[in-house]
Amino acid sequence: MSTPAIEIRDLEKRFIVKQGLFGTPRHVRAVDGVTLSIPTGATLGIVGESGCGKSTLARLILGLLPASAGSVLVEGQDLSRLDRRARARLIQPVFQDPFSSLNPRRSIGDIVAMPLVAQGVAGRETRSRVAEMLEQVGISPDMASRYPAQLSGGQRQRIAIARALVLRPRILLCDEPTSALDVSVQSQILNLLADLRRSLNLTTIFISHNLAVVEHIADTVAVMYLGRIVEEAQAQALFATPRHPYTRALLASVLTPEPGLGVPDVGLGDVLPDPSNIPPGCRFHPRCPVAIARCSLQTPPRVDGAECHLLSA
Amino acid sequence: MRRSGIWIGGAILTLVVLAGVFAPWIAPHDPYAQDLTRRLAVPFWMEGALPEHLLGTDQLGRDYLSRLIFGARVSLIIGAMVVVVSGAIGITLGVLGGFFGGRVDDVVLFLITCRLSIPVVLVALAVVGLLGSSTTLVVAVLGLLLWDRFAVVARATTMQVRNLDYVAAAWAAGSSTPRILISEVLPNIMTHLAVVGTLEMALAILLEAALSFLGLGVPPPLPSWGLMIAEGRDFMFFSAWVIWIPGIALFTLVLAINLLGDGLRDLFGAAPS
Repeated sequence: MSTPAIEIRDLEKRFIVKQGLFGTPRHVRAVDGVTLSIPTGATLGIVGESGCGKSTLARLILGLLPASAGSVLVEGQDLSRLDRRARARLIQPVFQDPFSSLNPRRSIGDIVAMPLVAQGVAGRETRSRVAEMLEQVGISPDMASRYPAQLSGGQRQRIAIARALVLRPRILLCDEPTSALDVSVQSQILNLLADLRRSLNLTTIFISHNLAVVEHIADTVAVMYLGRIVEEAQAQALFATPRHPYTRALLASVLTPEPGLGVPDVGLGDVLPDPSNIPPGCRFHPRCPVAIARCSLQTPPRVDGAECHLLSA
Repeated sequence: MRRSGIWIGGAILTLVVLAGVFAPWIAPHDPYAQDLTRRLAVPFWMEGALPEHLLGTDQLGRDYLSRLIFGARVSLIIGAMVVVVSGAIGITLGVLGGFFGGRVDDVVLFLITCRLSIPVVLVALAVVGLLGSSTTLVVAVLGLLLWDRFAVVARATTMQVRNLDYVAAAWAAGSSTPRILISEVLPNIMTHLAVVGTLEMALAILLEAALSFLGLGVPPPLPSWGLMIAEGRDFMFFSAWVIWIPGIALFTLVLAINLLGDGLRDLFGAAPS
């Protein structure tokens, strides 16, 4: 296999949280040794519950936050060593909330042109590329003079996608791109992303807490728990035969539309994960329904893409 | 009812601005022309008023209406210039502190605290007293002293905008920091700053009048409303209008600017963005 489109090596982020004037500062390990790589044209889904570090990971990959350790390489180039223009040509984001990701004071045309302007592209070329890009995301170029407040949530997200793709980046990083949208609009946006991914040969990172969405769009899936990837596998394999107990719990927690079933019991107990106080050994053991004595003592090694003692035994 | 303030304030302010801009054409007399035979003529609603002096004359026989109209110029120019100078200082400091945080913000906060601990009127009096009175000096002193509210509001609003995704998107798109500040942050905090601008303008006009009243503002014979009140002080027992005509003008203008500011604040506060 050739070099992967994007390679994430031992990425780590620690925050220092001060507690009052005399309190001892605590370290919060939001992202803890994440290693991932994605071949060109593939889509990686990252799933996990709220607060597991998904969005911090997204910000680290984009370089919006400086990493405490580790590196992100796109086509062999370390993103943190590139200047802002070169980095922008390699990786672009689509954010969750299309209401806060578009500047309300700028027109649609200006918003989509913004990355080109930042690259120093001349006026006339900018206009034609913006019009072309708007058409590709299903927005009439006539709407370029409108403002975000005049658009629906789905249209706004199309604009956000147009802005991300107008530079023809190699990597598209989508951080929960559909979770702020109506269910009826979600599938439109997902299909648009799938189409664009094929036609532009994009490599995509797709972060979501919605398992159904990830199953629909991702080739491989990484499951994140307390800042760490606990299982990584082909999408079909992961959903058919989840190996890590946390993955199984996540899959069990999906609500079904069938009446009478109620809220599923996932057997995780009431303890909530706290990234400022990560348990020793396997970080999942306090909530794990099948934990054994060894789990609280040793960090589990990764076996076939999953980090669990029971698999290696 | 809630919208009436913005209209009333806007209408009065527009009238005063028009009067100030077209002062040479609408003023019936030269505001500097003295006529010692017609000193302290009474305004039109009093017994024995002179038809050519609608609002009477002052102690040197100068037409009061003309001086009032030219005085609007002084008030507005000083108010506007002070807002420009203090706005430039305050917005720059506030945006930098709010956007970068950390050390930069510490310095900005320190400067704001320093500024807040300086008594404006005292320093203005001392500086003008030392260097002599002139319009430029009044603008410079007030401009350098009234930026604190701009800085506080710019800092707070920038901190909110800084964390929004469109700023992150602009950063990820390769925009430079100055470009992010100018085209992403500034346009989105401008509405809040406009409200501060009206408050500061009203305050600057009042302070200019106060300084002029003390003889440390604009130099005579320039027709400033504060100076007119000061000059009429000795005659107020027998010719009270020489004080309260410019007094009412000052009150009306400041009230109009404040009404406009309140109206703008309500308008922007109600808007979704």
